[in-house]
Amino acid sequence: MSSFTPTRKNKRALVWDKAATGLFYALGACILLFIFWLLYTILSKGLPGINLEFLTKLPEEIDVGGGIGPVLFNSFYILILSLIISIPIGVGSGIYMAEYAPKNKFTEALRMCVETLSSVPSIVFGMLGLAIFAEYFDIGLTILGASVSLAFLNLPTLARVTEEAVRAVPSDLRNASYALGTTKFQTIRTVVLPVSLHAIITGICLVAGRAFGESAVIILTAGLSTSGEMWDFNLFSPGETLAVHLWYVQSEAIVEDARQIADKSAAVLVFVVLFINLLFRVPLWFNNRKMKR
Amino acid sequence: MSTPVHDLPAQQGAMKKQPAHPSRWKRSRGTRVRITNGLFKYYFLFSILALCFVLALVIFFIGKTAFLTFNEISLSQFFLSFDWTPEEGEFGAASFIVNTFSLTALTLLFAVPLSIGMAILIAEIAPKWLKSFIRPILDLLVGIPSIVYGYLGLTVLIPIIRSVSGENLGDGLLAASLVLTIMILPTVSRISDDAISAVPKKYREAAYALGSTRLQVIMRVVLPAAGRGIAAAIILGMTRAIGETMAVVMVIGNTSQLAKSLFTPASVLTSNIVMQISNVEFDSTWNYALHMMAFLLLVISFGLILIIRLISKKRGDEAA
Amino acid sequence: MKLFKKISLVAVAAAFILSSAGVGSSVQAAGSVSGKITINGSTALLPLSLQAAKEFQRLNPKVKIAASGKGSVTGPQAVNKGIAQIGACDWDASTDVPGFKAFAGQVANKVAVIPFATVVNKNVGVDNLTTEQLKGIFSGKITNWKDVGGSDADIVVITRAFGSGTRVNYQAKALGGGDIVKKAKNYKEVGSSGDMKTAVSTTPNAIGYIDLVYVSGDLKAVKHNGVAATTENVIKGTYKVWSYGYYMTKGQPTGATKAFIDYVQSKKFQEGSLKKLKFIPISAMK
Repeated sequence: MSSFTPTRKNKRALVWDKAATGLFYALGACILLFIFWLLYTILSKGLPGINLEFLTKLPEEIDVGGGIGPVLFNSFYILILSLIISIPIGVGSGIYMAEYAPKNKFTEALRMCVETLSSVPSIVFGMLGLAIFAEYFDIGLTILGASVSLAFLNLPTLARVTEEAVRAVPSDLRNASYALGTTKFQTIRTVVLPVSLHAIITGICLVAGRAFGESAVIILTAGLSTSGEMWDFNLFSPGETLAVHLWYVQSEAIVEDARQIADKSAAVLVFVVLFINLLFRVPLWFNNRKMKR
Repeated sequence: MSTPVHDLPAQQGAMKKQPAHPSRWKRSRGTRVRITNGLFKYYFLFSILALCFVLALVIFFIGKTAFLTFNEISLSQFFLSFDWTPEEGEFGAASFIVNTFSLTALTLLFAVPLSIGMAILIAEIAPKWLKSFIRPILDLLVGIPSIVYGYLGLTVLIPIIRSVSGENLGDGLLAASLVLTIMILPTVSRISDDAISAVPKKYREAAYALGSTRLQVIMRVVLPAAGRGIAAAIILGMTRAIGETMAVVMVIGNTSQLAKSLFTPASVLTSNIVMQISNVEFDSTWNYALHMMAFLLLVISFGLILIIRLISKKRGDEAA
Repeated sequence: MKLFKKISLVAVAAAFILSSAGVGSSVQAAGSVSGKITINGSTALLPLSLQAAKEFQRLNPKVKIAASGKGSVTGPQAVNKGIAQIGACDWDASTDVPGFKAFAGQVANKVAVIPFATVVNKNVGVDNLTTEQLKGIFSGKITNWKDVGGSDADIVVITRAFGSGTRVNYQAKALGGGDIVKKAKNYKEVGSSGDMKTAVSTTPNAIGYIDLVYVSGDLKAVKHNGVAATTENVIKGTYKVWSYGYYMTKGQPTGATKAFIDYVQSKKFQEGSLKKLKFIPISAMK
């Protein structure tokens, strides 16, 4: 160490380095504090009032004390259906873009398509869903229509995230696999996907979180009412979701405790997103630890 | 995802399972593998084409109605006039277009430094425990429904803006861009974070070996190498900002005028569509014009994506 | 496109069979009414529609009702297109109103009386406004509260989007058909009654208008030409700012739709739930 005498330039670089590190930490602290404040504001208003009754009861129009049972169920139902539709296609197209697509104008065009699709406002997907399902097929406002329209909304983000994740897999790994004589698909299945799984799941969590809180699409395609039963798996029932219910109680409901229901619904929404994240992350996390050992 | 090389033992484990197949499969196995290989190639191609089909559907559906606009009003009126008074037959969308650009620019101005700073902190600087703490928390922000953001913007942010600026209303571009910044922050920083983490370790080690400080490594090696991914992150964030509606509507003021200051109640393409689409007749010029605005939104984001791609490509070439 | 339609129809049909098999319902049952009703349109009537749908489905389990809301004019339009059987609308869409043409062939079924109120932020000292003063404020000619007897402060005008049922009725009944300003510094449009309530209650010096049912402690309703906005005054006929809420149907309603509208108009619902929702029964108006 002693043989190295830092020049002025070195010293300046070191000072800058220290300052920048401090700055990054300060920035991080500010944003984290802000996020905590945000979560605290939402959760502290809502969580204390939540009990099992609120989560399972039917919504009320006149009397106070209405619950969110069917809308919560619909939220999950529509989310899962939309993910079933969008994950195979979204992840598939991401893999195509990263692994198969030749480097040419056509691929560039495909990529632009994906990105343009991600900028389509959600209300436009709602209008599209309404035109397809309510007018073209004439099935009215249904869970099916909402799931498909929501899947449209999920697609571009899924494709983009998968592409980035797959692309980030070092080519050494692929080459090693090819050297063992595997086909392209085998390499993708056994090497590329497992390695990029973590990032893909992060992407799915992001998409699921956004879809869970989406309201504009659902209002237009699944309506603002439920069938009034708790466990209604019928794809052709109207399917108000929690986010839509939140919009409704915040905008139009005249029941006296609308504000409290809105606060509680918002808290439940955030809580569920937290839960979805945990559900997917924790097993991954443990897996990673095991592997490292 | 940060250090994929470490995951290697897992694949080796996965591969070891393969020879366990009974040997009588051996002959047919080769064929089967080849068939699956071919099939899946077409499956992946099919998925991307399905995705493009959705876009085509959107364009067809909106465009079909949108271009009826110009049967009734002239191109120049729609694009150049600042007067949007549909009740009186004035369909000038220029102020919305300009406002959309200003809002997007302002949002990116706030969001990009913040989120890339955040991404650098997570990916490069923070110790491991802090990383695994911050990442899920950032993801949580995505899950907060946009109307909750809108409501908080209306009840918390706007009174603050009002008291700081001394305005009567406080609605406008500033409020909208701040809300949007928070909304796209997690998307941009998480995807940039993934891109930065994916930069191979050897790049950093080489730079450190030359005696660089961490800041120099980040600014001169890591960021340029992750440029592609970061550009993608910014694009995704930007497109979400352009397309976001429910939150913007609550804080922007919804007045069809050019935003001359940060506090002028204004309206952007999305907010105007959302506010008015539910209250117009299907077969009216007004409805056509709103569809035209939705179509325009697609064109604008397409153009912006193109520009960012060109910029990042140039940068990428220089770095290479 | 043809082929696509066929394929997707098959897919939809398959999904339908699957899902209905699970429920195992026999669609046609003798005696009671059955069918599917979609209600679309006015959001102001939505609480009423949802409550009525809930009660009606309890009495007639064979009827499925889906309700949604977007804006008044969507109601009759959805009926025209056949996406909905009932279009909720805040005005009689079978006649012309300013800004909207009549929908030919539709029948307007009155279901409720909706009163509207002028509301101001609690910091505003004014508690009575005449039609002329309101006209001046909303058209942008009067911009300071001191001109209408308040303190020296700018008036912040908050209004609903053009075509909102509340706005159509308010303009016709409270402003005597007067204009609402479009471009000003202290002017804001909101998308729903809830937003209106939040905006007026959190913005100092704000004025707006809202369905009477939403008026609560954090807003102040001002008198219109000296008459307080109350249900009694509406029934007495002294408070003029109200309108009927309508269910629009294509021709005279039939089947399940008729049964549903009959239920909503029945004395049991009008005097019971409808009153609890703070609408006024149609029979109260003479």
